[in-house]
Amino acid sequence: MSIEARGITKKFGGYTALKDVCFRAETGELVALLGPSGSGKTTLLRILAGLEIPDAGEILIHGEDAARRNVRDRRVGFVFQHYALFRHMTVFENVAFGLRVRPRKLRQPERDIRAKVHDLLKLVQLDWLAGSYPSQLSGGQRQRVALARALAVEPKLLLLDEPFGALDAKIRQELRRWLRRLHDELHVTSVFVTHDQEEALEVADRVAVMNNGQVEQAGTPDEVYRRPANPFVYNFLGNANFFRGRIHRGLARIGAIEIEAPEHANAQDCPAVGYVRPHDIEIDRILSGKTAIEAVVRRVRAFGPLVRLELVRRDNGEPIEAELSAERFESLKLREGERAFVKPRNLRLFLNKPE
Amino acid sequence: MADYSIIDHRMKSATGEPPAARLVLIVLALSFLAVFLFVPLAAVLAGALRDGLSAYFKALAEPDSLAAIRLTLFAAAIAVPLNLVFGVAAAWAIAKFDFAGKSVLTALIDLPFAVSPVISGLIYVLLFGLQGTLGPWLAERDIKIVFAVPGIVLATVFVSFPFVARELIPLMQEQGAEEEEAARVLGASGFQTFWRVTLPNVKWGLLYGIILCNARAMGEFGAVSVVSGHIRGSTNTLPLHAEILYNEYNFSAAFAVASLLVLLALATLAAKKLVEWKSRQSAGEPG
Amino acid sequence: MTIRLKRHSVLPGFGLALGYTLLYLSLIALVPLSGIFFKTAAMNWDEFWNTATAPRALASYRLSFGAALAGALINAVFGPLVAWVLARYHFPGKRVVDALVDLPFALPTAVSGLALAAVFSANGWIGRFLEPLGIKVAFTPLGVVVALTFIGLPFVVRSLCPVLEDLEKDVEEAAASLGANRLQIFWRVILPSLRPALLTGFSLAFARAVGEYGSVIFIAGNMPMVSEIAPLLIVTKLEQYDYAGATAIAAVMLVASFLLLLIVNLLQWRSSQKTA
Repeated sequence: MSIEARGITKKFGGYTALKDVCFRAETGELVALLGPSGSGKTTLLRILAGLEIPDAGEILIHGEDAARRNVRDRRVGFVFQHYALFRHMTVFENVAFGLRVRPRKLRQPERDIRAKVHDLLKLVQLDWLAGSYPSQLSGGQRQRVALARALAVEPKLLLLDEPFGALDAKIRQELRRWLRRLHDELHVTSVFVTHDQEEALEVADRVAVMNNGQVEQAGTPDEVYRRPANPFVYNFLGNANFFRGRIHRGLARIGAIEIEAPEHANAQDCPAVGYVRPHDIEIDRILSGKTAIEAVVRRVRAFGPLVRLELVRRDNGEPIEAELSAERFESLKLREGERAFVKPRNLRLFLNKPE
Repeated sequence: MADYSIIDHRMKSATGEPPAARLVLIVLALSFLAVFLFVPLAAVLAGALRDGLSAYFKALAEPDSLAAIRLTLFAAAIAVPLNLVFGVAAAWAIAKFDFAGKSVLTALIDLPFAVSPVISGLIYVLLFGLQGTLGPWLAERDIKIVFAVPGIVLATVFVSFPFVARELIPLMQEQGAEEEEAARVLGASGFQTFWRVTLPNVKWGLLYGIILCNARAMGEFGAVSVVSGHIRGSTNTLPLHAEILYNEYNFSAAFAVASLLVLLALATLAAKKLVEWKSRQSAGEPG
Repeated sequence: MTIRLKRHSVLPGFGLALGYTLLYLSLIALVPLSGIFFKTAAMNWDEFWNTATAPRALASYRLSFGAALAGALINAVFGPLVAWVLARYHFPGKRVVDALVDLPFALPTAVSGLALAAVFSANGWIGRFLEPLGIKVAFTPLGVVVALTFIGLPFVVRSLCPVLEDLEKDVEEAAASLGANRLQIFWRVILPSLRPALLTGFSLAFARAVGEYGSVIFIAGNMPMVSEIAPLLIVTKLEQYDYAGATAIAAVMLVASFLLLLIVNLLQWRSSQKTA
């Protein structure tokens, strides 16, 4: 089942949480809503679930307007950020809740409910904890109970609010791989909210990056990472160096470097910023050709397979962060305080004023 | 578990007082409490038993005493359920929803605490008394409200209405609405959500509110005194009966009646401790 | 755009719950209470003024408010002491003491009055020691202060206890590490953080004591102009079927109580602004 949000606007008092947002998740997809806190991602998720009513815009579930369907009949599963487990019920009773509150004529016999709950608890690998109370579980276990509870009602759409937000780094990683496998097994259309770009890029089929109540860009992880639509997306998806310069008719000048910028062929001597990931900074001891920026190594952090360098530009004193492989660093034999030449690769150029 | 030594582990730390200072503070605090709490409490019990146990039970078995017990129980049996329903409704509206005028409503619920008990009684006299707004109308139809049982019930309802709401509102606010939202998403109806999710979560607070409400309903003096008319055997509650006996210099009987109310108070305090302990236990250790 | 009075929520029953709450509140409290003001408004001004400011009435206000203030002040000194001892120290029987602090809440006021009158009368357990010293408590204004201290104690202690328990120990440790001694720590670190709660407890105790009736009338002696509190004057006037007189004094007390509450809320609001 697909879900689509069209032109959603939502205000809380004087604060605008969402401005004319459009968003879509196709049947069977796993989509991440990624953004900093306050970007409106949780509000959008709650509107998709029917927990909030938008001030403007519409929600289409499988092409059908969901405005008149209240939260009970939307058949969505919602996993709350802090799980919202019923604290006075056991794990088993929590998972069975959705099945037991069905109207009498739709309700399965108790025997079937028990069988189903046990299947679900097996699926989330918690059948041995069926009789425990939420307060006796670890964070990761609570998370899986919340997921089993949401899945029990066979939702056509699964919505998860910061599903790994409250967990330790190590459990986070395990659980997100497990969630991906589970999704591949069940193929329920799923949307999850996160502020962690690594999590979004690793788990999701598609990512919608949100900021200030708007979707800045939506696409596959590869698309948003490699072709970020704007500086915000670029910055949010990873560490970035930026180089100020100017663009004139498709040619960018940054310090001593000139770079082709065919996407800005119409620019007339516009100020621009070029963004480069630290691992796209090439470093050399000697100047090869004219297209490099002179810098001084200020600090070296060498551990593990990657070596991180902090450099300072000679011409304007701005810092540059670079990552290189340990082998490359060995062969360069650079020390702190020495001179180096820096060449940015895969520079992503944005005009200072959007067209 | 509990460490009952005056000199505990804090003693040696930088932020504790020397043992002598502690002892002085504890003795000072306990002396103050003794003068104002413990000695008067003991005096009631001693006064009740001054003429022996048989005199004590005889005083309680007087027809007027029994009538007072009956009326007290009757008023509480009406006031507590009414205020229970009110408290749950008010807490549901205030704790789970945002609406204009919420803080005004919350303040209004505290009204009986801000108003002198005498005034709480006076308002019903002004409304239903012979010179009151509705007095002549009621007199024509021969309906008696003040200086009769209905007035006592009304005054009791008034002075005890905040207790359940006051216990529930902070509790329900603290628990938020997430569990209820989860229940709704899982398909529960409004009634199911309330009955299966909200109520079990607040049951200890609710019980505590009922206990407090009951204690106030049975023990109220000022408001009830104003609307009662003090007709022995008919419009006297236990506290009023104790007063009458005291004014008649029948001290041991007065203290015997008062001792019943002391027992009610002690039971209320014990129940409070029990409920606190239970609710801590059911909240579990969040981990 | 319409002005919405309530935020959307998926939880049901708002209209029913609020409607019932308002109806009940109006029937039980608001409508009867407004009667006092209608009745007052029906009096002519001179009549009202003469009743409300008669010497006997003025004496009763002085006693009610003065003794309430004295009781609240005593509690403002001893309440923190009791709260401190209960929150910080261990001693035998602490749990029982802790439970009994709430006794004035739970004990019917008439019983408190009987008990205090018995203990502080000339031949009572405490009174017999005070009498030779020339201190008369029962049937004097001092007795009123004693009763109102009793009534107000739990308000102060219970306002302070949670704050004392929540007080971060590391703040005290930080102060100690910076060279402050115990008294300085108490005076400069602990007391300021207790101040809002102390103010709350003080004002609750005061507000409660102003209107108190049951626990006072047994111990006060109830002599007009000397030991007659304002609520008792209302009752006396009612017993003489002087409804107008009773209402006038009640109106004065109500207005005074509401003004007090307003001031206290304002003070609390200001001190919470400061610490927020």
